[in-house]
Amino acid sequence: MAAVSRGKSLDRLMRSVHQWVWSDSERRLRKLLTFADVETDGGRDILRAAEVTPDPLLRRLYLEHAIDELRHGDLFRERGTELLRAQRTHRKVLLSGNPLPGGHGLDDLRIEGEPDDRLLAFLHVAEKAAAGRFTIYRELVDDDPRTRAIFEEILRDEVFHMNYTYTQLARVAPRTYRRHVWHARAKRLWNRYLRVAAAVAGAFSTVLLTAVYFVLLPPFAWLAKRTRRGEPIGWTPIARERQASPRSQY
Amino acid sequence: MKILGISAHYHDSAAALVVDGVPVCAVQEERLSRSKNDAAFPINAIEWCLDHAALEPADLDAVVFYERSMLKFERVLTSTLCAFPRSWGAFPHAIKNTLGEKVWVRGIIASQLGIPRSRILFTDHHASHAAAAFLASPSRRAAILTADGVGEWATLTVGTGERRADGQTDITLRREIRFPHSLGMLYSTMTAYLGFKVNEDEYKVMGLAAYGRPTMIDQVRRTVRQQADGSFTLAPEYFEFQTSAARSYSSKFIDLFGPPRDPYDPIDLDSSDGRRFADCAASVQRVLEDILVDIATRLRRETGLPDLCFGGGVALNGVANARLLAEAGFDRVFVPSAPGDAGCSLGAALYADRIYFRNPDRDVPDHPFWGPAVDASHLARAAREDGQAVEELGDAPLIERIADELAADRIVGWMDGACEFGPRALGHRSILAASHEPGMRDRLNREIKRREDFRPFAPIVTSEAADRFFDLPPGGARLARYMSGVFPVRPEWRPRLGAVTHVDGSARVQVLERDMAPRLHALLEAYGRRTGMPVLLNTSFNVAGEPIVTQALEGYMTYRRCGIDVLVGGNTLVSKRSTAASLKESGEWSSNSVAASTVG
Repeated sequence: MAAVSRGKSLDRLMRSVHQWVWSDSERRLRKLLTFADVETDGGRDILRAAEVTPDPLLRRLYLEHAIDELRHGDLFRERGTELLRAQRTHRKVLLSGNPLPGGHGLDDLRIEGEPDDRLLAFLHVAEKAAAGRFTIYRELVDDDPRTRAIFEEILRDEVFHMNYTYTQLARVAPRTYRRHVWHARAKRLWNRYLRVAAAVAGAFSTVLLTAVYFVLLPPFAWLAKRTRRGEPIGWTPIARERQASPRSQY
Repeated sequence: MKILGISAHYHDSAAALVVDGVPVCAVQEERLSRSKNDAAFPINAIEWCLDHAALEPADLDAVVFYERSMLKFERVLTSTLCAFPRSWGAFPHAIKNTLGEKVWVRGIIASQLGIPRSRILFTDHHASHAAAAFLASPSRRAAILTADGVGEWATLTVGTGERRADGQTDITLRREIRFPHSLGMLYSTMTAYLGFKVNEDEYKVMGLAAYGRPTMIDQVRRTVRQQADGSFTLAPEYFEFQTSAARSYSSKFIDLFGPPRDPYDPIDLDSSDGRRFADCAASVQRVLEDILVDIATRLRRETGLPDLCFGGGVALNGVANARLLAEAGFDRVFVPSAPGDAGCSLGAALYADRIYFRNPDRDVPDHPFWGPAVDASHLARAAREDGQAVEELGDAPLIERIADELAADRIVGWMDGACEFGPRALGHRSILAASHEPGMRDRLNREIKRREDFRPFAPIVTSEAADRFFDLPPGGARLARYMSGVFPVRPEWRPRLGAVTHVDGSARVQVLERDMAPRLHALLEAYGRRTGMPVLLNTSFNVAGEPIVTQALEGYMTYRRCGIDVLVGGNTLVSKRSTAASLKESGEWSSNSVAASTVG
């Protein structure tokens, strides 16, 4: 539990960023509302795990776990909504998006076709990471007892989640459970790399396509606008031939 | 001839299988992947359809995709070019989105199913809607109207369909309104403005409209202008869906209607903002209805046909459908159980069968139950393992028992046979409850559905008793077969149908004929014998944000974590046992010898 109570090293390194997020009331409520969605989504994923597992004990545990996650989502949502109502008169702009991604760590969860041992290892690692991060968040909202109380309540559940996942992992895979945990950690790192790589590739392609847009497209845009001007508005007759061409994608 | 229809890549993907001219099965991908409105290539749905019919992909004579993807790409590209240079932000998103997967659909189908590309066919998006609406209806000759956000270029089409005496079928779409002029986009833009999810929450706008007054019709009419021939155009200065991937309404739209609603901000109908939002919803709803009624009235005069088949996402608007029936001059209006894009999979398969291959017409069974069936043995096993009370009962005692439970104000999860194809629970995957007490609506919202207070619950009534409780016009019962129309509750019954009567005295009623769902019909009658009203509250068997349950275990998991009192799957009945211990508290999970303290 020591690791949980201190928070993970990466999160400790990012403490100043976390502090920046939680120190502002607008960012705080956005973060809470984002957590609400992430916890709810995670709850649904775990519920799916309960539906597909052949193991009766795991089914019951997954169900309790899912109910916890869905309740956490409600707690975050209610608190976020309270803050939203309190701030309604002060807010001028609508923020969108999330100032810091990855609230809980249950993204990338793939249920279908995933054996219980790998799923349990994944859940264990994710819950542990979330517990570490929530520990830091709890400290950062000292000025807000209600939000702090929510983190405390959720942390108690997270400890149960990380413990039962580990214990059950040892039950279903007594010889390989440590390997599964390391594999889950490695996979989590790999997924983070993929996310970053995809984001970089996405940014790169956006820049490239924007350049194409301004360099290559202007003459075509002129032609398209000229053609559009000649088109009648309102009803357009439909050619029968178009409906009778089964192999054409045009 | 075996034809697989596929719809995918926009929202709510699905697969449907037609064998020798008759649908065999159809299912939305979301019902199997458990991801609401799943737009991914519907590989799970395809596999299930093939398994259900005991077919291999190689056995298929054709696979039909529901739209022409390159024509759609042309529209995306042309629209972006026409909006140059304001579309610079939307261009990279549109290109990545389209070139990433959507235009390669022929290759995706060929590689996923391992079939020759020559067997892969395409239909027009709106032809698929038209076929789903006309060929799945019992009408022999009908006018056809389709309307949605956008297909390839078309956003609304009108035409006719005919089943000829020689067995051949004709579907002729005569003319269309083209993008960006779109009733669906208008409604979706208001949906986004009101802080709801586009392509998902449009029905919330319809529900909210009943609380408002159409005081902003003039403003809405400035954004959509109707021409003398009934067609319409959207005023581009009010919309940004062509130029922005982030927002569909413009600053001028905000100037016109006021600040938009924050999605997280609850709608408080006692506040001025809440009333303004309700008025916006009522106004856009009224304008949508007026335009549709005008177009349909002209179509009726032009074709002289007594039946109208209405397809496309806009056909999910039950208030508009009821007005079409009442005012456009048609005797009957048919809306399929899945009028949206999911239903296009079935429409595309039927279109290929009747129009491309010229196969003779066959009657399509008039029910919506084309999905996976519930396996009660799975339910019984899971419930017993979980320490719940399980009973196996014959049909008659089960019906009587459930009627008793409902009469005692208990909430019942009801799973029976094959699941519905389409967005609505029509009696095979439903949550049922007493319909008389407004408190039941609050309880359902609080303990199960967790949804906005302003949204109404729908009733289900036997066809024999429907007219007694609801003011159904001629043809109303037919429209209400798939819950496609909103009709007034008779004033004298409104106080006694408090849980299902909306604020304006209306209800989106389902009129159930015995043949369609005999067990549920029997349940309604049994409930009627106890209460004098064979009317139940019928809402989809899911909780907010999740697809309707498909398998028994999904129903059981939903039942276990919300306020449903009794669960029925086939002939298995499960009752909630409050003594079932929490594993967390019992410590049963940790009986294993590995100590928790070793974590880490």
